[in-house]
Amino acid sequence: MANMKPDEFPFPQIGDFLRKVVPFDTLDDGELARIVSRIEIAYYPRGTVIVRQGSPSPDFLYIVHVGSVRITISGGGGEEILTDFRGEADAFGGASILQGSESLAEITATEDSILYLLPADVFRHLVNTNPAFERTFKFSLANYIKGACDSRYRQLSQPDGTRTINLDFFLAGKLVSDLMVRNLVTCGPDMTIRDAAEKMTRNQVSSIVVTDGRGTPLGVMTNRDLRSRVVAEGRSGDESVSGVMNRALHSVDRKTYAIDALLHMSEHHIRHLLVMDGDSAAGILSEHDFQVEVGSSPLGIIAQIEKAQTVDHLARLRKRIDNVLEMLLMQGVPVDKVVSLVTGINDRVTQRVLSLVEHAMADSGMGPAPVPYCWMALGSEGRREQTLLTDQDNSLSYADVPGEDGEQVRRWFLAFSEGVVDGLVLYGIPRCPGGIMASNPSWCQPEGKWRETFSKWVLRPDPLAVMLSMIFFDFRAVHGGTEFIAGLREELHGNLGKKKTILELSAREALENPPPIGFFREFIVERSGEHRNQLDLKRRGLRPVIEAARIRALDLGVDRTNTMERLEAVRDAGILDDGLYSDIREAYHFMNRLRIDRYLDAVAMNRDPDNFIDPATLNSLQRNMLKESFSAVARLQKKLLGGYLFP
Amino acid sequence: MLRRIAFLRNLWLRYRFRFAALAPAARRNLEAPARLRLTAPARSCSYVVVDIETTGFDPDSDRVVSIGALRVVEGRIRLGDTFHELVNPDRPIPASSIRIHGIIPAMVAGARPFGEVFDDFLHYLGPDVVVAHHAAFDLQFLNGAMKGKYGFELQNLVLDTVPMCREILFRPGLRYPFGIDLDSRQYSLDNVAKVLGIAISRRHSALGDSLATAMILQRVLARLEKGESGLLRDLARVARVP
Repeated sequence: MANMKPDEFPFPQIGDFLRKVVPFDTLDDGELARIVSRIEIAYYPRGTVIVRQGSPSPDFLYIVHVGSVRITISGGGGEEILTDFRGEADAFGGASILQGSESLAEITATEDSILYLLPADVFRHLVNTNPAFERTFKFSLANYIKGACDSRYRQLSQPDGTRTINLDFFLAGKLVSDLMVRNLVTCGPDMTIRDAAEKMTRNQVSSIVVTDGRGTPLGVMTNRDLRSRVVAEGRSGDESVSGVMNRALHSVDRKTYAIDALLHMSEHHIRHLLVMDGDSAAGILSEHDFQVEVGSSPLGIIAQIEKAQTVDHLARLRKRIDNVLEMLLMQGVPVDKVVSLVTGINDRVTQRVLSLVEHAMADSGMGPAPVPYCWMALGSEGRREQTLLTDQDNSLSYADVPGEDGEQVRRWFLAFSEGVVDGLVLYGIPRCPGGIMASNPSWCQPEGKWRETFSKWVLRPDPLAVMLSMIFFDFRAVHGGTEFIAGLREELHGNLGKKKTILELSAREALENPPPIGFFREFIVERSGEHRNQLDLKRRGLRPVIEAARIRALDLGVDRTNTMERLEAVRDAGILDDGLYSDIREAYHFMNRLRIDRYLDAVAMNRDPDNFIDPATLNSLQRNMLKESFSAVARLQKKLLGGYLFP
Repeated sequence: MLRRIAFLRNLWLRYRFRFAALAPAARRNLEAPARLRLTAPARSCSYVVVDIETTGFDPDSDRVVSIGALRVVEGRIRLGDTFHELVNPDRPIPASSIRIHGIIPAMVAGARPFGEVFDDFLHYLGPDVVVAHHAAFDLQFLNGAMKGKYGFELQNLVLDTVPMCREILFRPGLRYPFGIDLDSRQYSLDNVAKVLGIAISRRHSALGDSLATAMILQRVLARLEKGESGLLRDLARVARVP
């Protein structure tokens, strides 16, 4: 029961906020007031799971008022794949309500968030009665476009005005033929639904075009039709596709401008367009293709990576991947999330390259991989901390082979590694200047040899071993060898338990590289050279944190490689107090953010990106934050590494 | 201890008024403690967050000029389930208090007296837990009306968000990044809201303040849910009034 008088608007601030949310901006005051009176406000602390994957259709449309959420789906192997973020004035849950489907994704608060919850019945009523709601939520791409044009992009322009972005940029001048899926899969009208579905799965497409004997298209059957017309209506898979295909086929010529095709789809509420070349079908264009092109969907990118048939194709995706990441960063997505997404994408690219090169080797007569192997990520890749600016750091181990076969196996893997490293270069991850790559014979070894090398470094350390261990001890498997990696790590921790000299030497070296802040809290900048009066953020700010975390974590036998996860473990072991831990977390993310901003600026202005920053270009808040960050790093160094100096 | 006294007093009242002709809302209020589940998780309970604006600070001579309340169920604030009404204090409103809440005599000239408004509020309140910021202040006025009309005080469990903040949200010694010191803060609604990043729209309107208070309660409930002692009993131990 509401005891308010009808003429007074009870919560003006909530109405004002909703007026900024697309498409609530189309409602008049009376409608808005009615909606506000049905809203519930909920608060979710960071890390709370708001909607679980697979839970029943949600009871609410969720609108983010303060904070942000991340949308993830869990992959087959149990790993999480980040698909999207929602920030302030974004809504989610609408699609699941309308389709009545269980939630396809898991939604988690990435910061303390206040959400407005609109009950599902109110939302459904709006969609059924208000064309703007229908357009926005029934056709998700329209949501993207309209949302993009109306509000988000206006907010995207940074205060300094140097970076703005708009949709036209992505679609300008593009033709339908640039975007469509060429891999057109067809079948005859008499094919059974089961066979057609199998054919779609085999070819990894979401639709199949039904053609008559002369190749003239008769209709199309999509994944959606399979769900809604076959499964939902309980049809048998033995019926022919002609009974369920969609005959109202919309088609466009391949020379049509992409933006026109998009508007056509938007108007007719369809998700697929048949692309014609004269009288014959040339391809299929789906809503998804636009999303991939526009770069709104990291999930789409991942699907594209997994479909890539050649390294060249992967290399062409690179630009889009950069676009997606830049957009996420510009939308204010936290840096650590973007960094873990970069790692996720690079892992998938690497896995794809491995599989492509393996096939190429088999096809060229050298045969398949002779024994199981493990592709190891090292350095920042091993720590899952890659940014857009990153080199290759990798190595390979393969199962031990006794006797003379060993040489042949070695040769196969060396050739294989060269192919993979070349492939990654082509994709856009440059070679490691220090030669730490699997294509280097020293780093392409059987498992026994790796165990030997690691033991030698720890038990008989020399300066080279100290240097290499900093990169290699962050190892992690990207492909295969899970057991080998676990065994190697166990042995490493065992050896470190016996002899800590390498940790002491590393600590000493790390302490020679303090953060660049002086006694009077002044910045200590480079005194000469190309970067005079600048600071090296990576070497002087981030690396001390990485090293302190690695050394302490190895000492404690922690099996994590990620710096923040290592520090968490060090904190849990009681060595680091909560206060310093949270200071360091903020400091680390802040420095990373600065570094990535520099990178984006450099790319936007066609300069070569680097890790240097001139404190004079920062505003006073940033300068203070940076000083606080450096002083936190200095405290961390002292706390974690001081003990190694005078053991 | 306090809990037991309140329980015995309620038992006595129910005995004393067992044959009295009470208004249904008052009768139900007597039964509120019996419907309270102290062993339920605090988050699952139903709360009514209330704020009262008055002509001054003295409950004996000052009067209510507006009352606002909203319900929090399962940790969610229901904007459609609110109570908000201006009240005719039947006496001049001093300029000092107008400066705070902005309610001038002309606005309340046509309003009902608190005695009438209070009955509707009592009906709205039901058996739910009452929550307010500096709750003792609001409770004095609510109890004044209740006693004046029915001869006994409000029987609902009443909780204060101030001790919730002090004991649960900002435990002493808890360090925040970059040296924000919470120990020295006063727990005014403005300060607490500022630290928690809660924007108060229409500060000192009864509904605006109760919304801010409800949002503080949400943080407390979220924090309790994470901890080990998340029952209503645990919250009451910290924040019960009196």
